Amino acid sequence: MKAKKQDMSIRELFRQKLENAEIVPDALVGTKLMSKLTRREFLRFYPARFNIYYLGGILVAGITAAFILSSGILNSDQLAPSNLPGERIKTDSTEYLNVPVEQSVTQKSDKLSENATESIKNKVISRPKVESKMEPAQKSEPRENTSVIPAGVNDSFSKRGLFSESSADKNKLQGRFRTDEILFEPSDTEGCAPLKIRFYNKLTDYDSCRWTFGDGGSSSKKNPEWIFDVEGEYKVVLKVFGSDGLLAISSTIVTVYPKPLARFEISPEKVVLPDDEIRFLNYSADAVKFNWDFGDGSSSELFEPLHRYTKFGNYNIRLKVSSEYGCSDSLVVLNAFSGSAYFIDFPNAFVPNPEGPTGGFYSSKSDEAAQVFHPVFSGVSEYQLKIFSKLGIIIFESSDINIGWDGYFKGQLSNSGVYIWKVRGNFRNGEPFIKMGDVTLLRNL
Amino acid sequence: MMSDQQIIEGCAKHDRKAQQLLYDKYSRFLLGVCMRYAQDKAEAEDILQDSFLKIFFNIKDFSGTGSFTGWLRKVAVNTAITHYHKNLKYRYHVEIEEYVSVETGVNSFEEDFFTSDELSKVLNELPTGYRMVFNLYAVEGYKHKEIAEILGIDTNTSKSQYSRAKAVIRDKLEKLGKLKSNYSENS
Repeated sequence: MKAKKQDMSIRELFRQKLENAEIVPDALVGTKLMSKLTRREFLRFYPARFNIYYLGGILVAGITAAFILSSGILNSDQLAPSNLPGERIKTDSTEYLNVPVEQSVTQKSDKLSENATESIKNKVISRPKVESKMEPAQKSEPRENTSVIPAGVNDSFSKRGLFSESSADKNKLQGRFRTDEILFEPSDTEGCAPLKIRFYNKLTDYDSCRWTFGDGGSSSKKNPEWIFDVEGEYKVVLKVFGSDGLLAISSTIVTVYPKPLARFEISPEKVVLPDDEIRFLNYSADAVKFNWDFGDGSSSELFEPLHRYTKFGNYNIRLKVSSEYGCSDSLVVLNAFSGSAYFIDFPNAFVPNPEGPTGGFYSSKSDEAAQVFHPVFSGVSEYQLKIFSKLGIIIFESSDINIGWDGYFKGQLSNSGVYIWKVRGNFRNGEPFIKMGDVTLLRNL
Repeated sequence: MMSDQQIIEGCAKHDRKAQQLLYDKYSRFLLGVCMRYAQDKAEAEDILQDSFLKIFFNIKDFSGTGSFTGWLRKVAVNTAITHYHKNLKYRYHVEIEEYVSVETGVNSFEEDFFTSDELSKVLNELPTGYRMVFNLYAVEGYKHKEIAEILGIDTNTSKSQYSRAKAVIRDKLEKLGKLKSNYSENS
């Protein structure tokens, strides 16, 4: 009855005092609330309020309008580029350029009078250049433009230069070299990125040469070395210039295969060897073959292998991956299991079974009521637990980690109160531990 | 001054002025409610803010029958419970020994001996689980079975947490009472 009355008393006290208690909120709260409210309301649709749906509507309408307008303009423009003469001319680079200049110019002259006049200008300007033997570099410029076009570069400037130079080249070059002659030899024509290739120029009798590698790079060395960083097919072109202009031109295709990427993770991150089974998560890219070396002498070719080590240690784990083209990559993780998952901890209270000693056996399921004082741990190999009373008397000792203290001493349930525990031992990785602490014995009354 | 009815209608139309009025009128009351469920004022103000957002967006659900303050309080309590669930994993467990000593002796407390500020502080100092159960049972008047459902705990847990909360509160009140009577004797 006493307890009941007391309960009512506390309940009434709190209810009366607090049910309608008022507290003045910080002034900021109101402002923050209102701005939050404005943002939230903006995200929902209310007919009476400007919100994101209206904004979206306006944007869509605006974009549509802009699109209609601009497409109207585009339509009128699109005819011109498709009729550019450059795209009609198909040339194999190992052959000498052979373009019916006069014809194509006159054909297009109605529509492309501007282009035509400019190409004529080029012609006039570049003639003297060709004849001045002193400047090989300058000479080469316009001609390079001409030969680049077939290789697929869409540069409107180079297209304009096409007519004048090719006709000049044609006259000068014919008969000097045969069309199918290969003028250089690469050290490789295919390989994995990054691919380093040296090109050997077989010609000796010339003034200067110019290499273009198809990836935007160029060189004027005789035997250049070039590194292709990115996968793809590249057309390497060599142009050789004599004293009176372009002598010959030759090309070859270099194929660069993608480099695969070896990546993996170890799961779980912190492991206890040899108890845990290790899963290797594979994040590799562009690879078809996998070769795992677990560092303990065993290996696997599975995509994501599982592995169990037989003893503790620090292992170096290596993954080598290969692509379908035989390109490979590898990743090594050194000392893969250095992160420690070893621990031992003790609770600070327990409630012994009042009905008699239990012997101290426990399992995580059976001891939900915390009747046994025992550690939670991982990776412990050696262990010794001692429990002392406040007077310093040893009242419990165990070197079996699976047996804890049931709260009894010589068959008698110990008094409730504080006891001191001390534990020492070794983890599986050889690391020693010593811990001390106190535990409160509670008695269920 | 607008009547509650006018304010509610304005809020249903998302009228900013009505919303401001509602906040000005009821924020102190609702913060009092939130305060009981929070550890400190900052947390209570967070709950208050979320409560008001809920109120503003759901005000058309208020049927008009029954008390408006009752409805407001219910929204705030529910928000506090959601908040409790959301933050459950961030809470620290409280060492058990802190709360094992239970002294009995005082039968009842005088009503006017403690101010509501002091009681509120006592509540704030409780572990979150205790505070939730105590509030819902003692102040809000829920049954243990309902509390168990709301908080997702066992009915027995609710009961035992309530009695432990009570013990802790009693302990605290006694200490506070002694302090206060000493003080008044001395002065």
